[in-house]
Amino acid sequence: MSNVLLECQAIVKVFPGVRALDGVGLRLTAGSVHALLGENGAGKSTLIKVLTGVHTPNSGRLTWCGDEVHLRSPLEATRTGIGVVHQERNLIPGFSVAENITLQSPPSHRGLIDRAAMTAPALTCLGELGLDIDPDQPVRELSVAQQQLVEIAKALYTESRVLLLDEPTASLSPQEAERLFEVVRRLTARGTCVVFVSHKLEEVFAICDTVTVLRDGRSVLESSPLADHTQDDVVSLMVGRAHSATEMRPREVDTSAAPVLSLDRVSTAAGHRDISLDVRPGEIVGLYGLVGAGRSELVKAVLGLDRVTGGEIRLHGKPARIASPRQALHVFGIGYLTENRKEEGVFLEQPIVRNITVTVWKRLAKAFGFVSSREEQEVSHDLVERLGIRISGLGQNAGELSGGNQQKVSLAKWLAADTRLLIVDEPTVGVDVRTKHAFHELIWELARDGLPILLISSDLAEMITLADRVVVMADHRIRGEVDNDRDYERMSGRIIRIIHDRALSAVGPKAVRA
Amino acid sequence: MPVAPPDGDTNTAEATASRPVHRLPFWVNQRLGLLVLIVSLSALFGVLRPAFLDERLVLFPLLRDISTLTVVALAQMVVLSVGHMNLAVGRMAAFGALFAGFGYDRLGLPLPLGLLLCLFAGAAIGALTGWIITRTGVSSFVVTLAMDFALLGLVSLLYSALTENAAFTTKPSGLAELRSYSLADICVGPVCGSPAVPQLAQFTVLALLGLGFLYACTRIGRELLLTGANPAAAELSGIPTGRRVILAHTLSGLLAALAGFMAAVSTGTFRASIGDDFMLPSFLGAVLGGTLLTGGVVSVLGVLLGTSLVGVIRKGLDLLGVGLESLNIYLGCVLLLALSADRVRTVLSYRKVVRST
Amino acid sequence: MITIRDRGARGVAVLRRFSRSTTMTLLCVVLAGYVALGVASSGSFFEGPSVRTFLQYLATPVLIGLAQMIALCVGQLNLAVGALGGFTACLMGVLMADQGVPAGVAVAAGVLTATAVGLVTGLFIVATKINGFIVTLGTMTILLGAQYRLAGTRTVDGYSAGLRDLGRAAPLNVPLVFVTALAAAALLAAFLYRSSAGRRLLAAGGNPLAARLSGISTDRQIVLAHTLSGLLIGVAALTATASLPGVNRSVGGDWLLPSFAAPIIGGVALTGGSVAVLGTVLAAFVMRLIDAARAQFSLDPSWVNFLIGLVVLGTVVGGRIHQTHLEKKGSSRGRTPPAPPESDAQPAVVLPHMGGAR
Repeated sequence: MSNVLLECQAIVKVFPGVRALDGVGLRLTAGSVHALLGENGAGKSTLIKVLTGVHTPNSGRLTWCGDEVHLRSPLEATRTGIGVVHQERNLIPGFSVAENITLQSPPSHRGLIDRAAMTAPALTCLGELGLDIDPDQPVRELSVAQQQLVEIAKALYTESRVLLLDEPTASLSPQEAERLFEVVRRLTARGTCVVFVSHKLEEVFAICDTVTVLRDGRSVLESSPLADHTQDDVVSLMVGRAHSATEMRPREVDTSAAPVLSLDRVSTAAGHRDISLDVRPGEIVGLYGLVGAGRSELVKAVLGLDRVTGGEIRLHGKPARIASPRQALHVFGIGYLTENRKEEGVFLEQPIVRNITVTVWKRLAKAFGFVSSREEQEVSHDLVERLGIRISGLGQNAGELSGGNQQKVSLAKWLAADTRLLIVDEPTVGVDVRTKHAFHELIWELARDGLPILLISSDLAEMITLADRVVVMADHRIRGEVDNDRDYERMSGRIIRIIHDRALSAVGPKAVRA
Repeated sequence: MPVAPPDGDTNTAEATASRPVHRLPFWVNQRLGLLVLIVSLSALFGVLRPAFLDERLVLFPLLRDISTLTVVALAQMVVLSVGHMNLAVGRMAAFGALFAGFGYDRLGLPLPLGLLLCLFAGAAIGALTGWIITRTGVSSFVVTLAMDFALLGLVSLLYSALTENAAFTTKPSGLAELRSYSLADICVGPVCGSPAVPQLAQFTVLALLGLGFLYACTRIGRELLLTGANPAAAELSGIPTGRRVILAHTLSGLLAALAGFMAAVSTGTFRASIGDDFMLPSFLGAVLGGTLLTGGVVSVLGVLLGTSLVGVIRKGLDLLGVGLESLNIYLGCVLLLALSADRVRTVLSYRKVVRST
Repeated sequence: MITIRDRGARGVAVLRRFSRSTTMTLLCVVLAGYVALGVASSGSFFEGPSVRTFLQYLATPVLIGLAQMIALCVGQLNLAVGALGGFTACLMGVLMADQGVPAGVAVAAGVLTATAVGLVTGLFIVATKINGFIVTLGTMTILLGAQYRLAGTRTVDGYSAGLRDLGRAAPLNVPLVFVTALAAAALLAAFLYRSSAGRRLLAAGGNPLAARLSGISTDRQIVLAHTLSGLLIGVAALTATASLPGVNRSVGGDWLLPSFAAPIIGGVALTGGSVAVLGTVLAAFVMRLIDAARAQFSLDPSWVNFLIGLVVLGTVVGGRIHQTHLEKKGSSRGRTPPAPPESDAQPAVVLPHMGGAR
């Protein structure tokens, strides 16, 4: 094919402990929109970083218009004609909008920046996105959605022939997203190839022409026309099995039992309003919502990290004022498995034994705060066996483990503390499929033995597999509740409908606020 | 609670990833390397200049300096363990010593009570520093820097307000003995200790043992380390990180004050200039000993070894006639070389991990 | 939607932003302090000789503050400010007095050496990836030794009279050394705000990852920052050598703390990405005012350090409180519209900031 712009073959990229990419192929043709799909941790972001010169692959071949290229730096990628909008925020907070947009090749004259010449192209790029903001304003004063759009404007400025968009719509309203799709269509009409990464399959099927699916660092579907596939096909390729929720037998939850945790019309300083929620013994309550719906923030308010401004939190029927996570753990027995494993979950540079026993030192401590290493070893050893954590020794640093095992270590500390309520936040993000499976069984078993569990997940399949009841949140409010009948089609339809009905009615003012 | 075991050994990818990735052979151990270096350098200096092994004239003052500076480095290590810094170690030492001197001169306190007053003052100023840091969330670097300024001024002001010639010279009974007595003055029957080991070292030994116990065996020590390793995760795991940070700074202030007292005892006067040159050795000792600046990893023994190495090099070069003025040049080079070597090691082990994946 | 397009309105916005800035506050403090001091001295402080002395000894603090600021702006520290300054001053003095090198050549050699030391420091940091704090601690030790070796215990004072005259020259009652410092500040400001290289430097400090993704080598910026820092220290050493009666091994010994105090009071964040050239200059002014006031009321010199310590502490604590206040206001404003734009991906915001070393 003559109009192939960028092609990669058998790309391998290795990080310590992980083969992030293990033989990935991809072919991008001019004038098309290419979907890059895969679950979290499948290697999408790594692939994008390889394509944009951030990472150098350990092996494999990249060709640009038929010639082999080596992209050693982001600048080389840009010069070649590859532009990107990364998932992370990539703006310089103190710089103006115009300066951020023109960051890669600022208009300059003999080494001096020409600010006047910056404004016109910046306004053009902003105009294409229908964004009416002052190009001289510092970026740090913009809202998150506006910053996201500025990122896209920045990518437009480089006039790339291949434009990679990594989750560009994550923080955009449907209107803003639609605006973006128009731009994408306009770009492809000019012969640009746009690579689109998104978790929202509806978007993918609405605008993409071809698709590549990654799973565990391999491309399981390579540059295939999207018209040949249904959403279900694609999803089963992504997860590696048909997503029928059959592994978990339905079970009875005693709905008459007194709730362990109940929130009664709780409002928080983070912006939550009138949140009411019950979790009963042995029940798995799912809290579903899109990124930014305020689920983790709600949990942090319950743990005492953010101010509760109204309503009441009750534990075991009694009103509870929780001032800190320490109190939540030692007084109320609440454990919180965080979604940010590396930042808030495990101590990467510390031995596994410390990672597990951190919650029980208070209990183990004797005179002068003495903690016996033998007891620590015993506690950790039991949990390592019980959770099947693969380690070479308890003294090994947690950072040397794979993602799934780190997550198990992170969970082990809460089991060690015999928590009476477990809050699990995105437990299987960045974990390979098999460990994910084991994790689901584990959560299931814990609930069967009577532990109440509040499960936060953005993975609809995971929600429907595990939860007894799904509470749907959007914009820091509860939008509805669905009893899980474990029929994926019906459930996902109902949940998505709840979110979208609200999403459409709630976006108006945000889109135009400047 | 019975929990379903995860699926069996089919999981090869993970098994590979979690295999013992990289164990450093024992001889690469930093502490052991330091010890070997200290011993061989001492032997070398001893051979080149037999006077180096003179117990009373060389080793005694050398060990006295090492004792004091080890405590200074420990004061730094404690804050490094929670990922903070204390740029005001020297000034906290001066602040503590001021109180001891005041106690002896004006209140007529006996030796131990003056020491207690000194430690209390140091702990208090450390606690205040820690409190400001936790309450405002301003980086410890800035807060201790400002503290350094403020104490630098305050201590001199107090000395000039309280004394005639900017120093307390009253010596309580026992001070002179503490200054000049060695283990040779302690005899069990006919057997006396070595004249090389100063009695002042008892404080250092106590501090080393205390901190060693704290970090190796107790809950608080572990919590300090985890607070340093990852404050967010520590907070979520139920560790009162704010209180641990305050505790670390309090301990740091206390140890700094102890070092100030020891320095004052060695020189014989309590004056404002005590601790002026503490900042550099405090970082040298801790960092050479393997304590990470980023927090979470400390080595109490390493502090002793790191400080000793610096002391031995300083003394040895001095005896070799390198001249006081060039000493710092060599010391700076030693620091940079030691750390570069460490860095090379990390890079090598990283490569090895990547290759094994 | 409010769109600001016409120049007038934009100017107003810029002015409003400026009026709330640290720089504005400092400017008021400097003016008020200066007037108050003048009144307290019943006018003698406004007279020629006082003004000249005041400005004469302001040059070096301004320059070392700027030298530290340029390191801070890429998220680095430079502990070797004083040691490098002292070493360079001694080098210049020794070259002139002992070796009989002409003043111009000696000065050029000194400034170049300082720049080269900065360059090597930067290269070393980038090559070994060791924390800049430790590396500059090491270079500080080395330079202290080198300075001692050069000067020994003596004071080198027999150097070029021409340089001294230049140091003491004050056309229109404004000392030449002060003009030099101001010129350096102006050049630095122009470099940082107008040149592509300066913008790259700031971009790398503001968001290293983003800078890297935009093809800016953060390593190169770190090297550049340390080199510029060295250059400014070289100039500071020049002004010190020119205005001091002689150089010895204590020159630079008390530079380190003020070098940090000036940018911190001036509103520069230690995390990198922000610069305030004017703020740093004004902060040096404030510190000089404290010193002048001390001399005016003939107080113990220790008051200066004590007060500067309190001012630094007050500045950062006040700034922090102001920021939390803004955040609170932001979150209460964010609650009324439907979607507070906070993403799940940044929960670390909720956790208390623990004031770690960096």
